[in-house]
Amino acid sequence: MTEITGTAGVPPASRNASTEVTAKPSNSAFHEVGRDGRDPSEDEREIKELERVWACPPGIYGWFTDTDHKAIALRYVVTAFVFFLFGGIEALLMRIQLARPESHFLSPDLYNQVFTVHGTTMMFLFAVPIMTAVGIYLVPLMVGTRDVAFPRLNNYGYFVYLIGGILLYVSFFLNTGPDAGWFAYVPLSGPGYSPGKRVDIWAQMISFTEISALSGAVVVIGTVFKMRAPGMSLHRLPLFVWAQLVTSFMIIFAMPAVMLASSLLASDRLIDTHFFNPAEGGDAILYQHMFWFFGHPEVYIIFIPALGFVSSIVITFSRRRIFGYTAMVLSLIATAFLGFGLWVHHMFATPLPQLGQSFFTAASMMIAIPSGVQIFCWIATMWGAKLNIKTPLLFVLGFVAIFVLGGLTGVMLASVPLDLQIHDTFFVVAHLHYVLIGGAVFPLFGAFYFWFPKWTGRMLSERLGKWNFWLMFIGFNLVFFPMHQLGLKGMPRRVYTYLPETGWASLNLLASLGALVLGIGVLIFIVNFFWARRFGAVAGPNPWGADTLEWSLTSPPPAYNFQRIPVVEGRNALWDQSTEAPVVVGLSSTKRETLVSSVVDAVPELRYELPGPSIWPLLLALATAETFIVGIFTPWAFLVGAVLTFAVFVGWFFGNPNYENVDAKQPPDETNFASEDLRAEEA
Amino acid sequence: MSNKLHIAVARRFWCCAVRRARFVLFPTLTALLLTGCGGGLQSVLNPSGPQSEHISGLWWFMLITCTIVFVLVMILLFAAVVKGRKGFPDPIAPPEKETRESERRRGVVVAVATAITIAILFVFIVDSFFVGRGMTAELDRKQGINIEVTGHQWWWEVRYQDVDASSIFTTANEIHIPVGVPVTFSLKANDVIHSFWVPNLHGKKDLIPGKISTIWLQADKPGIYRGQCAEYCGHQHAHMALWIFAEPREQFDAWRRAQIQSAASPATASEQRGQQVFLSSACVMCHAINGTPAGSNFGPNLTHLASRKTIAAATLPNDRQHLAQWVDDSQQIKPGNRMPPNKFSPEDMQALLDYLQSLK
Amino acid sequence: MSTRPVIDVSELPHHGFDTLDTIWWGNNLLLAIETSMFVLLIATYFYLRQNFELWPPPLAQLTAPLDPLPDLGFGTANAILLLISCAPMIWADVSARRGSQSGTQRGLLICLLIGFVAMVLRGFEFRAVKFRWDSNAYGSIVWFILGMHMLHLLTVTCETLLLTGWSFVREFDMKHRVDITALAVYWYWVVGIWMVLYAVVYFAPRVS
Repeated sequence: MTEITGTAGVPPASRNASTEVTAKPSNSAFHEVGRDGRDPSEDEREIKELERVWACPPGIYGWFTDTDHKAIALRYVVTAFVFFLFGGIEALLMRIQLARPESHFLSPDLYNQVFTVHGTTMMFLFAVPIMTAVGIYLVPLMVGTRDVAFPRLNNYGYFVYLIGGILLYVSFFLNTGPDAGWFAYVPLSGPGYSPGKRVDIWAQMISFTEISALSGAVVVIGTVFKMRAPGMSLHRLPLFVWAQLVTSFMIIFAMPAVMLASSLLASDRLIDTHFFNPAEGGDAILYQHMFWFFGHPEVYIIFIPALGFVSSIVITFSRRRIFGYTAMVLSLIATAFLGFGLWVHHMFATPLPQLGQSFFTAASMMIAIPSGVQIFCWIATMWGAKLNIKTPLLFVLGFVAIFVLGGLTGVMLASVPLDLQIHDTFFVVAHLHYVLIGGAVFPLFGAFYFWFPKWTGRMLSERLGKWNFWLMFIGFNLVFFPMHQLGLKGMPRRVYTYLPETGWASLNLLASLGALVLGIGVLIFIVNFFWARRFGAVAGPNPWGADTLEWSLTSPPPAYNFQRIPVVEGRNALWDQSTEAPVVVGLSSTKRETLVSSVVDAVPELRYELPGPSIWPLLLALATAETFIVGIFTPWAFLVGAVLTFAVFVGWFFGNPNYENVDAKQPPDETNFASEDLRAEEA
Repeated sequence: MSNKLHIAVARRFWCCAVRRARFVLFPTLTALLLTGCGGGLQSVLNPSGPQSEHISGLWWFMLITCTIVFVLVMILLFAAVVKGRKGFPDPIAPPEKETRESERRRGVVVAVATAITIAILFVFIVDSFFVGRGMTAELDRKQGINIEVTGHQWWWEVRYQDVDASSIFTTANEIHIPVGVPVTFSLKANDVIHSFWVPNLHGKKDLIPGKISTIWLQADKPGIYRGQCAEYCGHQHAHMALWIFAEPREQFDAWRRAQIQSAASPATASEQRGQQVFLSSACVMCHAINGTPAGSNFGPNLTHLASRKTIAAATLPNDRQHLAQWVDDSQQIKPGNRMPPNKFSPEDMQALLDYLQSLK
Repeated sequence: MSTRPVIDVSELPHHGFDTLDTIWWGNNLLLAIETSMFVLLIATYFYLRQNFELWPPPLAQLTAPLDPLPDLGFGTANAILLLISCAPMIWADVSARRGSQSGTQRGLLICLLIGFVAMVLRGFEFRAVKFRWDSNAYGSIVWFILGMHMLHLLTVTCETLLLTGWSFVREFDMKHRVDITALAVYWYWVVGIWMVLYAVVYFAPRVS
């Protein structure tokens, strides 16, 4: 408690001359109170009120309008996981096709669509959204607040993402799936060599998913910076939250590049601009620069949140405080910075000056250092501790093994001479799956096992979990390890078949069999999921004895998260808590009110009222959808879209929907500016 | 050590392959690939030129170092797990306190491990830099020959440059080079981006529309090396291969002299009829045969078609049966390629094949 | 689990200006996204320039004026106008902070007017470029830069319209006073980024 008073102190007086702000508090905005002697009935009344105020509107309308970050995040997770399964089925189709030479299982046209949609799905519809989604669920809980900073922007982000995913798959099933690769290099993807609408659909889908990712990033940063519970100064932020924060910043600086690249591509295709047309002064390499300026950070955008999962799991299952907290945080930040300095290593085979290439070699290799530091710190954390070897920890151990191997092949790829040989071969396919599946999907499955009890209130089966892990681990290595050798034996990427005399058949067959094992592993997870939903053991608030704030709540947590905002006493919030947990009082239970605090020290500043459920985010998402989807066919769609968008904003701004069950004067929230900017970016 | 050893082993395999490949033609080439070397004609690990040799050296060095690193990390991880396997306390109990001493010791280990990582990376950076420099420094460009390669969807146009304009000639998909002589390739793309890659000789280089990129390589030993497009270029990216025939100088010069000539005039009546079929059908829209009115270079130049070992960008052996199938309906073989099906009467087809096979 | 109240926040205000409020952060983060986008656009501009011997390329048709450089008139007028527009926006900004409704309304109305005029001027600026978006890469990038900025002009003007409307027909409450200060930040950003883009579009080709 002494610590609390130290950090809390008097909030800085508003810098502005506003009378309203400074007049109210006399000399201290809040005062300490002693042990409160409220009787339990008052507690009950408060909970009832909170439940009423934070309730989701009933029925399907409620589904469309709800702003509860937990509900939105779970939708995100489920949607992204469904896309993961689609992507996985595409992967299996490819493995069937490549299992033997000159196979006619898929036509080249279909194969090219399948691998393009596979890559696009896994990168844009699965990996990035699911990492954001887990963050959207857990960040507000871990920082101790009642919802995200911009709940409606959050809702908008989900719908835009969903529409983008549906667009891709509807067109894929109509045989107009994109077929120019997930990177869509010009001129192959340009108007001259990809007639039809396939690539346009890809480009617009990028816009949808990137708008969604950017909204998610803004939501997460806002929440982490301004919504933390008192006492959770930045140096007490859980590593999971640090990872989400760093990722969100990377999204903000990386995603505009791909949105711009895909917009310029779309405009080349739709209104005859010449950005990438060499005949009129355009440049094909320019596109590659833009794409990889996004594309390489993208890998870290996927991978860094996973590091957050790993840290949470290691801490919990070794029951130790993390070794080298500061080094871990600095490593995350260093990874983010370096991640922007190595995009050119995807382009070593293009005619570029050699001196520049050496710089990118150095940067690409240096990024191994922060990753190494983190691996060493995790091992040091586990070293000498008694380990609780449950499925989440198994996935983390598997992650270390696979990721270290993938990282080492990454170091090899950073070397220009060696890269010239193995670039764009199956060696790279092996490498990228080692870092992405090993580095992100394994921790993600670990996170599923770890947080599933929190999300649903029930435990996943340990026995099935072990099967799940071992089948995935063995299957994964069977699929991807032989690919290193295939690459060295000269097999290029993205070939729909190969001649028998190349001698690649046996290793390919092995990889295809491995894919089957991997697929069964994932299937067991699905079985486990449905089993646990019905029969899983009831979890209780904290089945693993974990240390972060979400584990202090019931499983699943109530809509309002915290009846009273906790006051954080140490880096491992629950482990460091006194027996009588200190809390904040004075927030209204008759409004959606939460605490806004200062950026560095989390000193309470405002009692902020969050906006409630609203239909406008959905309508805005539909206006966005009209703009981009109809925009594929006629540029007039942009005009219509602008009008629709403005109409939605007028409604959002002046409307007084029934479900804003707060003050009659409930003002519109900030998301209107937010989304409008996002739209402005795209059109 | 084992690096050198492996190269030596690979070389022995290689020599046996070359000796056989030089005397036997395509049908046995297939058999050869399936036996013995198993893909050794398109492999990073069978270096046959100075550059690929450099790269392969770097590869073995990195592979061994990285393997050691990997094994060490795995031992650490495994040891941590084995040590902590038993006796996890009740999850509700407060976490155990760690001693200062243990913190300090682990700190030292992490610091040392990080320092070793940095040292290894530094060595890697320096090594790749010098290997990269070595690759470009050793060959003397001026003495070599110049070949311009243009990527098309989905075949390679090959043009032998010469100061004497009459010695310039064009062929496709099969490149002959003299052994021990540096060859400069100027790479261009006609439509989309392709990548020129013959792993036994050198790494890859992209062919980019609107740009010219250069790569030079040298074959130290006579032999046949397979290459393949390494940048996704659309439908038939998988079937865009090429062969490099590295030959002794005299053999190369003889080949070159033959290629400079115009096409052989049709000798027999059937060949003459075949030429008529060729010139009066859609063939002339895309293909050139020097010495005849056919002069379009949208498709491969066919002046010396019969001297090539393969057709369809090193996809099919160049024999009568495959040629017939290809001319009749290449879409069956390589769906999406730019050549339309041609419906000839059986007699016309036989005559055309006679003519094409006479283009030595 | 028993809890122990240690902080009572019941007297904290609901809203605060600048970094106190989440909206300031949301707004500025979105502007960071847009800034990244414009930085990339400017990089694209100079990247494409390398492909040209003359930038802008010479005009093909002789009927057009011979000088291919973009005319300075409308662009400069627009730049000056936008710079001037900061004054009423500062007025609105400061009034909103002070709680002066009439000052805010007047400032916003002037800005609204300027926003519309600036968009009309931008229409003429497109013409001053002398190339169409589909003539060559130069035309494409210049049109794209002007267009993207026009989109921001449109957005910020629409937002001004909404807030002006609010300040007249609804309560001049704290929440919306904070919104107006955030709008002001956006407005300054639109003006500021135009100064950079103006220099790139009109002066980069003149300095070679």
